[in-house]
Formats: sequence, C-alpha cells, structure tokens
Amino acid sequence: MRKTASTGYAKYYVPAFYLLLFTIWQLIIIFHIVPDYLFPSPFQVARRLWELGSEGRLWPSIQATLVRMSIGYSIALALGLTIGLVMGLSTIANKCMKSLFLGLQTLPTAAWVPISLLLFGLSDHGIYFVIIMSAMPAVAIATSDGILQIPPIYLRAARTLGTPSYAMPFRVVFPAALPTIVTGIKLGWTLGWHGAVSAELIKSSVGLGYLLLLGRELNDAAQVVGIMIITILFGLLLDRFLFGLIELGLRRRWGLVQAEQ
Amino acid sequence: MEAPNPESSDSGAAPILRLENLSKDFASGKERLKAVENISLDINKGEFVVFVGPSGCGKSSILNMIAGLDQPSEGQILVDGKPVRRPHPDRLMMFQEHALFPWLNVIQNVAYGLRWKYRFKPRFRRNRARELLKMIHLEEFEKSRIHQLSGGMKQRAALARALAPDPTILLIDEPFPALDAMTRQKLYSDLQEIFSATHKTIVSVTHDTREAACLGDRIIIFTARPARFKSEILIDLPRPRDPNDPRVAEFAQKIMGELEGELDNEKDRLNGLR
Repeated sequence: MRKTASTGYAKYYVPAFYLLLFTIWQLIIIFHIVPDYLFPSPFQVARRLWELGSEGRLWPSIQATLVRMSIGYSIALALGLTIGLVMGLSTIANKCMKSLFLGLQTLPTAAWVPISLLLFGLSDHGIYFVIIMSAMPAVAIATSDGILQIPPIYLRAARTLGTPSYAMPFRVVFPAALPTIVTGIKLGWTLGWHGAVSAELIKSSVGLGYLLLLGRELNDAAQVVGIMIITILFGLLLDRFLFGLIELGLRRRWGLVQAEQ
Repeated sequence: MEAPNPESSDSGAAPILRLENLSKDFASGKERLKAVENISLDINKGEFVVFVGPSGCGKSSILNMIAGLDQPSEGQILVDGKPVRRPHPDRLMMFQEHALFPWLNVIQNVAYGLRWKYRFKPRFRRNRARELLKMIHLEEFEKSRIHQLSGGMKQRAALARALAPDPTILLIDEPFPALDAMTRQKLYSDLQEIFSATHKTIVSVTHDTREAACLGDRIIIFTARPARFKSEILIDLPRPRDPNDPRVAEFAQKIMGELEGELDNEKDRLNGLR
C-alpha cells in the first residue's frame, strides 16, 4: 500500500531521492566516467528540451500523442468494457475469451506495430489500432474478473428489489465491479501509452515517439533522453493524478481505504 | 379471481402465503441432498411467523424460495393464490449480511427499490426514503456512505430499504446474530413497532429461541436437515415485548425444549447445508 507519510521529514524523502539521482548522474558526466557524447548530462538534456520547446516542436508532439491516446483509448475502453461485460455474464464467453486475452497480453505492445503497418500503412489509424490492441485486453479481463467477484448477495438483493434485467448491468453489475474495473482502466492506460509511443516510432511525423526516433537519427542523445523523461512524466501524471484520484475517491466511498491499512 | 384485492377481503379468511408440499434438494457431487422435505403451511395476512430450527437445517432455503430466488424441487408456494416464480418487490428480504450497496449512499440505498415502480416521481421516492429513515432513526445519516455506519445502523438501513416499496410480505433471514445484545434489543423493539404500525406479514428465520419468542405470533419448529415440520407454538403475549420479560423467557424455554432433540441430531451432521 502507498502510504501518505507526511510526518516530520518524511515528505522530503522523495524530492531528496530525485535530487540525489540527478546529482549522481551529473557527477558521472563531470568525472568522465561515461563520455558525454555517449550519454548526456542532466543539463544537456534540460537545454535540449528547452530548445525543442522554444522552437515550438515539443508541445505539438505531446499534444499529438495525447490526442491519439484519447481517441484510441476511448475506443479501447468501450470495446474492453463491453467484451468484459459479456465475459462476466456468460461463463462460456469467459472460458473462450479469457485465454485469448491473456495470450494477447503476453505480446509486447511494440509487437503490434508491424501488423498495423501491413494493415493500415502509415496512417494514424494504425496507431489507434496499436493502442486498442495494447489496452483492450487488460480492460476486458479486469471487467470480467470484477463482475465474477461480485458477492452474489448484491445480485440477489437487487433482484428482490425489483431491478428489471435490462437495468442490471448499469444499476448493479458495473457499479459493484467498479473497484476492480478501475484498476484495469489504469493498467490499460499504461499499456496503451506504451503502444502509442511504440507505434509513433515508426509511423508518424509528429508525436513523442517520432521525436525519439528523430533524436536517434540525428545522434542526439540529449533529445532521446529528454523525450524519454517527458514520456515518463506524462504517463505518470495521467496515471497518478487522473486515474489515481478516481480510484482513490472510489475506494474512499466504498470504505476500502481504511480496511487495507 | 374471487378476491382481486386482498385488502378488501377479511383478514385471516384466506392465507396470504401458502406452502404446499414444499421440498428442495441440492446436488452435491453425485448425491442429491435433501434440504427441505414436504412442508405444508398457511400464513395469514398480518401474522408474524418465526421459523426456528438447528442451524443449517434448510430454513433459510424456505425463505429463499418464498422470495422467489430459488425454485422448489417439488410442491409450490402460493402468494394470494398465485404461484411464486420469480422475485417481486411485494416479497422483500432482509438478508443475513445487510447487503446494502456500497456504491450508493444511505438514502440512495433506501430509495433503490422505488426506482422502477415510481420511475418518473423522483421527489416521491426521496420523500418516501426520508420518511423511512426517520422511522428507523437514521435521518441524520442519509448522505453517509455504508461503511461509515455501525453494524446495527446497517441492519436498520437494510430494514428501511426492504420496507420502502411497501411489500406485503417481509422476509427476515437471521439478520441479528452478528450484533451486540444492546443493539439487538433496540432492533427488536423497532421491528415490533414497525410490525404494529404497518400490519405487514413477516416471516423471519432464526436459531435464537429468545428472539423467536420476543418477535413471533407463531413459531414453527423444524427438524434438523432435511427440514421437516416438527411443531408449532402460538405466542399470545401483548406487544411490545421485552426479550427479558420472564413470560418471553418461558416461551423461549418451551421452544428450546422442542428443539433439544434436534440439536443432538445436528451434532452428527456438522458441515451441513446452510
């Protein structure tokens, strides 16, 4: 469990850790343990990012990746939740699809890129395809697991209270499975983010993946490391602050937070 | 139908609930286990009937069948002369665990069963839910989350949720044993108050003889598994009854006497059906 340690010096531990990390990194470069033409110093990375930003090339790429993610991931969510619902309600569907999706999940997200090139050429559709195939299995599996773990008593109570069968999915099944589903939504986002950047490496002229590739082609290690850091930051930001807060809010409402401490 | 409106017919004239040669088996591996065997019983409108039997004897499965959650293997259940096939908000159940929905707050839980009957009357639903929360003294907690309530408050909220759609029959499946004595006593008096005020037909299940004597007009005693009708005891004490009243204790003793033989049998059958 993540602890919210806020007493005494505890809140300084994490910033101090990163400060130490960057200091060691800078020292390695200063003392020429690794030559700076092979690996950039933090200052070089920061300068390169600043240049990219002021030339107006960084933000459009971040934006492009985020837009692709929001389109691709919305589709992945819609598909994953629907398929997960079917899997959760039908044991046959669950038996058939679960092994398939677990199998697909073992596939590295980058492995979807070649087939998307063959299917969609260099268009953006291929990137959506990679995002969907990377994210959807995780969402579907979490949804069906969440539904199968619903205590039967909730379903019985809902039936006696007159819930018509058409209303069961949205009034009872999804809400009851929500804590597990949200975990799957977070995981799906991370996997989709991997897929998006991997696909952009090959098939785009804008986006974080494209800037990574460009950095490599120009032999610009500072740009490569800089974009990696940006990719991590945005991935983390959305995971922690968007989905993380939704998850925390949900767990508070359900009273699951105290129970786990 | 001779009596389309049960309210207009004389109470006690026709039973509101009739169990006819009711049996229930469960598959257990290759064998079939008998949980309930050949029970016939009439329950009148406005009666508070308590089923007592050794734990695991199958009395809860009778309740589930009345609720329409399980189907009998043989025989049938008639409500107002019509056979029960599926759950209906006319027969509401208060479950062993409170079964309140954690994704809703207290008042949303209480109003849940009104949603489909009063689809376009949200204000009515809210007022009705408030009324019930007031009746069970939880009006200050309408916005609370379920996990913030104590055990007794949860059971009271579950009672309010079951009463909200104004069922003709209220089924209570041992909802009290997990509570401390004080809380339980409070619930007994709430329940009796509600029973006297609303004239509901109540069928409850327990293995606590004191609880049975305190609540019931009629106690039905079942044998250990499979549950068969053993005997019945009528209790004509005035209400509200106090569980510590010596007359209640006397009836509890009497019920215990009926049960005693069954409890010995039960020891040989541990790990029985619940």
